[in-house]
Amino acid sequence: MKTNNYKFQVMLLCTFLLFSCEDYLEVESPDNKIITETVFNSDETAVSAMKGIYNQLSRASFSGGGTSSVTLLSSLSTDELQATLVNDQTYKQFEENEILPANPRNNNLWVSAYNMIYMVNALLDGLQNSEEITEEIRDQLTGEAKFVRAFTYFYLVNLYGEVPLVLSTEYSENALTERDTKELINGQIIADLQASINLLTNEYSEGERFYVNRLVATAFLARVHLYKENWDQAELLSSEIIEQTETFELLEDLDSVFLANSKEAIWQISPEGDGGSFTHTNEGATFIFHPIIASLTPVKLSGDFVLLMEGEDERLINWVGYHQSRDDYSPYKYKIRSSSDPVSEYSMVLRLAEQYLIRSEARLMEDDIAGAIADLDIIRKRAGLELIAETNLEISKEALIDSIFKERKKELFTEWGHRWLDLKRTEKATEKLASKTSYWEETDVLYPIPEEERIKNPNLTQNAGY
Amino acid sequence: MKNNYQSHTYIVAAIVIGLFLLFSIKPVTATPFPNSYFQEVEISGTIIDKEGLPVPGATVSIKDSKTGTLTDIEGNYELTAPASATLIISYLGFKSREVAVDGQEEIDIQLEEDVQALGAVEINTGYYSTTDRERTGNISRVSGKDIEMQPVVSPLQALQGRMAGVEITPNGNLPGNASTIRIRGTNSLREEGNFPLYIIDGVPINSTPLESNSNLTFGGIDPLNTLNLSNIESIEVLKDADATSIYGSRGANGVILITTKKGRKGKTELQARVYSGASSVPNRVDLLNTEVYLQIRRRAFENDQVEPTEANAFDLLVWDEDRYTDWQDKFFGGTSQVTDVNLNASGGNENTTFRLSGSYHSQGTVFIGDYDYSKVTAGAQISHTSDNNRLNLDLSINYGVDTNNLVGYLNLSAEAFLLPPNAPSLFNEDNTLNWQDWGEVGWDNPLEGYYNHSTTKSNNLVSNLVVSYQLAKGLSFKSNFGYTNLINDELVKRPLRSYNPANTGNIENRSGHVQSDRNSYIIEPQLVYNAAIGGGKLDALIGSTFQQSLVHQQSLFAEGYVTESLIGNLNAAENIGSSSSSNTKYRYSAIFARLGYNWKGKYLINLTGRRDGSSRFGPNNRFANFGAGGAAWIFSEEPFIKNALEFLSFGKLRGSYGTTGNDQIGDYGYLDAYEATRGPGGLYPTQLSNPDYSWEVNKKIEAAIELGFIEDKINLGLSWYRNRSSNQLVGYPLPAIAGFTSVQANLPATVENTGLEVELSTFNIDSQNFRWQTSLNTSFPRNELINYPNLNQSSYANTYRVGEPLNIGLLYQYEGIDTETGFYKIADMNNDETFDYQDRNLVWDRGREFFGGISNNIMYRNFSLQFLFDFVKQEGTLTLFDAGELGIQRREILNALDENSSFQTISQSTPAGTAYSQVLNSNLPIVDASFMRLRTLSLNYNLPGRILEKIGIREGKLFVNGQNLFTLTNYEGLDPESPYGGTEFRQLRSITGGVQFNL
Repeated sequence: MKTNNYKFQVMLLCTFLLFSCEDYLEVESPDNKIITETVFNSDETAVSAMKGIYNQLSRASFSGGGTSSVTLLSSLSTDELQATLVNDQTYKQFEENEILPANPRNNNLWVSAYNMIYMVNALLDGLQNSEEITEEIRDQLTGEAKFVRAFTYFYLVNLYGEVPLVLSTEYSENALTERDTKELINGQIIADLQASINLLTNEYSEGERFYVNRLVATAFLARVHLYKENWDQAELLSSEIIEQTETFELLEDLDSVFLANSKEAIWQISPEGDGGSFTHTNEGATFIFHPIIASLTPVKLSGDFVLLMEGEDERLINWVGYHQSRDDYSPYKYKIRSSSDPVSEYSMVLRLAEQYLIRSEARLMEDDIAGAIADLDIIRKRAGLELIAETNLEISKEALIDSIFKERKKELFTEWGHRWLDLKRTEKATEKLASKTSYWEETDVLYPIPEEERIKNPNLTQNAGY
Repeated sequence: MKNNYQSHTYIVAAIVIGLFLLFSIKPVTATPFPNSYFQEVEISGTIIDKEGLPVPGATVSIKDSKTGTLTDIEGNYELTAPASATLIISYLGFKSREVAVDGQEEIDIQLEEDVQALGAVEINTGYYSTTDRERTGNISRVSGKDIEMQPVVSPLQALQGRMAGVEITPNGNLPGNASTIRIRGTNSLREEGNFPLYIIDGVPINSTPLESNSNLTFGGIDPLNTLNLSNIESIEVLKDADATSIYGSRGANGVILITTKKGRKGKTELQARVYSGASSVPNRVDLLNTEVYLQIRRRAFENDQVEPTEANAFDLLVWDEDRYTDWQDKFFGGTSQVTDVNLNASGGNENTTFRLSGSYHSQGTVFIGDYDYSKVTAGAQISHTSDNNRLNLDLSINYGVDTNNLVGYLNLSAEAFLLPPNAPSLFNEDNTLNWQDWGEVGWDNPLEGYYNHSTTKSNNLVSNLVVSYQLAKGLSFKSNFGYTNLINDELVKRPLRSYNPANTGNIENRSGHVQSDRNSYIIEPQLVYNAAIGGGKLDALIGSTFQQSLVHQQSLFAEGYVTESLIGNLNAAENIGSSSSSNTKYRYSAIFARLGYNWKGKYLINLTGRRDGSSRFGPNNRFANFGAGGAAWIFSEEPFIKNALEFLSFGKLRGSYGTTGNDQIGDYGYLDAYEATRGPGGLYPTQLSNPDYSWEVNKKIEAAIELGFIEDKINLGLSWYRNRSSNQLVGYPLPAIAGFTSVQANLPATVENTGLEVELSTFNIDSQNFRWQTSLNTSFPRNELINYPNLNQSSYANTYRVGEPLNIGLLYQYEGIDTETGFYKIADMNNDETFDYQDRNLVWDRGREFFGGISNNIMYRNFSLQFLFDFVKQEGTLTLFDAGELGIQRREILNALDENSSFQTISQSTPAGTAYSQVLNSNLPIVDASFMRLRTLSLNYNLPGRILEKIGIREGKLFVNGQNLFTLTNYEGLDPESPYGGTEFRQLRSITGGVQFNL
């Protein structure tokens, strides 16, 4: 009897121990996650990962065109936009060029840009380590992703100056990385764009201009070279785009320029990437005055800017909105403030008009005055302005430079901070902006590194003046 | 004999108590033996309690001898004793009685419950039980009857101030909001890694608050809301390693055991109780009135040399200068009704007992709008013992449904501190929202969203079946089978009319839906063995755990309902979208064991251990071992102490050391994975992955002394502890340049919690008609980050400081008013003319210096009075002194009108705003926020039995309960329980009254 009991106990004990085994703890991955390895196990899912990047461009603060976007914030920093909300200092600080390092919009812009870079780096890693993906898809996706990385760094380096150049997903190293030189970053931007040009074709996938192709990378590289004052390169590359007359065309109807897949568009971001039921662009939602409560709109066009437009300028008629009772103007390039109808406008990033202006400037700098005037006149003609070739052929080089920048201002206003970056690269910011705000200082040409970022990474130094 | 054996522990305890009584009550007086001394009498009788129920298992012994017996299941005993002997009858929880035999052959004795005999109360430690006297670990216990009268929603709220080392901070002021509970401080650097383990009747409950989209968002919903307070028999809090190590990887933050009531043998009893009352916000912040407010505003424009216009000074130029609204009264000045009804029945026979209960509780609101909370519960408990006493079955089921109706999307107490006192009225005369007057100046009515309505409904089932079978003498097999299911369903309706009609161009009738479903099972087979070995008593236990928990969560939004009445019916929506959906599975398994040895009730040793595996960790780091040892020496049992220190009725030294862990970290955190983007067809990485992280380990050490003086009329307990939590498992914050702002990782850091806990209870008066008992608990906690290699280079460089507590503020040094600008000036520590974290060198400890509670229990004839004060020594901040800005400020800033005040120049310029926002991060706003609060008071009157008997009622009482009746504090904010800023309140003042009958 006793031995029996003893045996029973031992048996029972064994059952306990056997049961508590590792198998029990294996849980399958949840239905809302796909293991990274699986993502890069097939062409389809890898393409989805790139589609994710396109989608997130519409959601990311810096690129979405909304209230913390490059478009809105850097237009406030110049003489284009003014903040209208009395109680919201976050916009005001940009307008007055007195940005606190803790400004949440500045932080959103920075955080979203680096998150985008991580997504690109993760995709590039995944492509590189996978053996299942076909060569064709690997090249295609690598080219697209590198463009997005170059594009994002372009804005980081231009808005913040020296920033950390992060090219891997090794977060523990990256977390404490220091700021890198502008030369290094610009070199990377050019290398990435060159890689995109080499890997991609001239076709837009599915005919959709929110996909990146060789032309998109070429057009952007033209701008990068312009900024670096490599005039010959800028001219060469912009010419390459302008010559694609099958694909691109300067639209006579100004109201059609910002439509989805318009022929003027080189690269756009689709608001559908945002998900949800709305299909308007964030620019439309942010800029256009509410039909009844205008005070909901955070910004308006500055009066001085509107005055700059001569009366007959078609762009004043088509691209500037007016609110009667407030006597205020707003950017009206995008016509739709709110909609859940099928998408009709995409957010414009690169378009043909800029390429003409790039080439005009580059030609001028290479002393091809006639060529410069010809390109500038193409833009002026569409705007319904007198042609320089017809009225002022003897124009001095200096006057022509001024005309080009004035045209850039009027053509590209509230698009991706063109005005802000133009003033910075020509070192005219102080001259043009000091009268606008009582807080102007030379150092305001760079935004502050966000405070939270510096708390977490003590190796990040602050820009001068903050 | 079997009976005898099972009650071994009790016998030891009883004998020990008996000996005490013997020893301490009367110094033994030598009496000459009478002649009849050697005559033996056969005695029999029944031992009953106050209610006339038999007391089985009571010890009946003969004084000054080793003879004794136990009562059987009907309370009967038989015993042979000398005719002149004295019987001592003792039983746990009852006062021992001595009765002279005096030749009687039948002695029936009624025992009185002993509130004094704390040492005898059985204490649940989860897998086994012990007594307060013999415990080797640190366990606090609150009895259900101390808390059941309090008109609170979650039982945790009733524990405030009652237990040493247990800190409870409410997070919100809505019924159902989860409180933060910390047992012996903050162990984890992660906020969400500090929840204690909740166990109801042996079944672990997910202690993470439920998510909500309604006004409950902040703090979330307490998962214990659906419990019926009146069903709780006791709440035990396990604190040290000895008590918590058997819970292994889940014990680091302490364990809260909730035990529900069980049925009692005997006649079926029915208890009915009802109470109702009202609550309101007891305090207001002293704010500016319109006249002074406008005066200060005008001064701001003068000082700034800005011309007031209708756009920048609408409060001066557009709004009525004579209008005054007390926005605090407007937003939270209401009175909330409370109603509570409780019914339960219990009874049973030798083999089977049952208890059935039901309750209803409802609460209104102090806020503007239709808020209400209601809870309905049902409970059933059945126990069965087979005739041969070998098989025991114990089933408990607790079910509760609560419904929280809230007005959507408004933080109403915050609104009250944003509006100028002459702002327009909220409603038009026809009771519709006033958009016109607010819209004129470009504002939205602060009640925007007023007609939004959220309904949050939780259904919670907690059930457990315990089966035990005696395999052989001293050896039993036991297993519990627990199942829980918590379904939370929330609907937020956002009708068009809630919004400014001028602004409804792109707004439609909308709804938001959140559904969560938490489902878990647990199976814990165990072998339990007891034996008498080497003159002592051995208790051994070995068992294993299999637990699975599934959590499903989904949120949806829908819009485009044609009319308001259809909102919420997804069929009627034009668009439906999903904003999140997740399914998580968590599995946990373990082997655990315990070995306890009790030698003559003097020396006690307790060893516990556990090997844990959890699916929350990557395959390389799934298992870990935890263990602890505890020992106690009841030195008052030693003859040399007994003889030397007569005033000492009880003395015990105890200590423990061991390890516990923490696995409170999200599921699947180790997976390197992509998720679907919101936009169509895309995938993207949503987190950084780290496959190698492992457990957080908490090493706990404790030393304690417990003393009883003058027949245990004064009991004192002192415990010292030191808990060190290392290998910190954190959502480690990263700069955005790393791609994401955090990653899960183990940090080479150590957080230490040390502290001293004092518990004192005294029986001030103890007579037949008048009894007064006081108990005091105080905790002196100290939290410190003792080690953090390379903190300066880490991402926490500007969050923590080595040698300081975790809960600190890094502040600027306030230097006074800048004589040049007239604005606040803070010290530029490194003279670089910028202000950043390098200048924030001042370390402010935001934690509590000490806290505790004093409760009193007074009984006089039919009256009884209980009241509890709790007290906290801490610092807080006061804001609302930005004189000159649009909005409202505290009345104190009146002084700013005086040139030489301590406030900065009245201004609303950018530099003034910057100076104010910087000074809020300095030491200037810090004030004392200590308080002492009369947390709860209840007065009961037991109706005289004679009257009740006539109407067939066994017992009846009337009672009144008051919560938060007054607070002693210097803090000028709304509520020192929310001491930052001063504009939040946590506690309502409530007064309720009711009646209870037992049939």
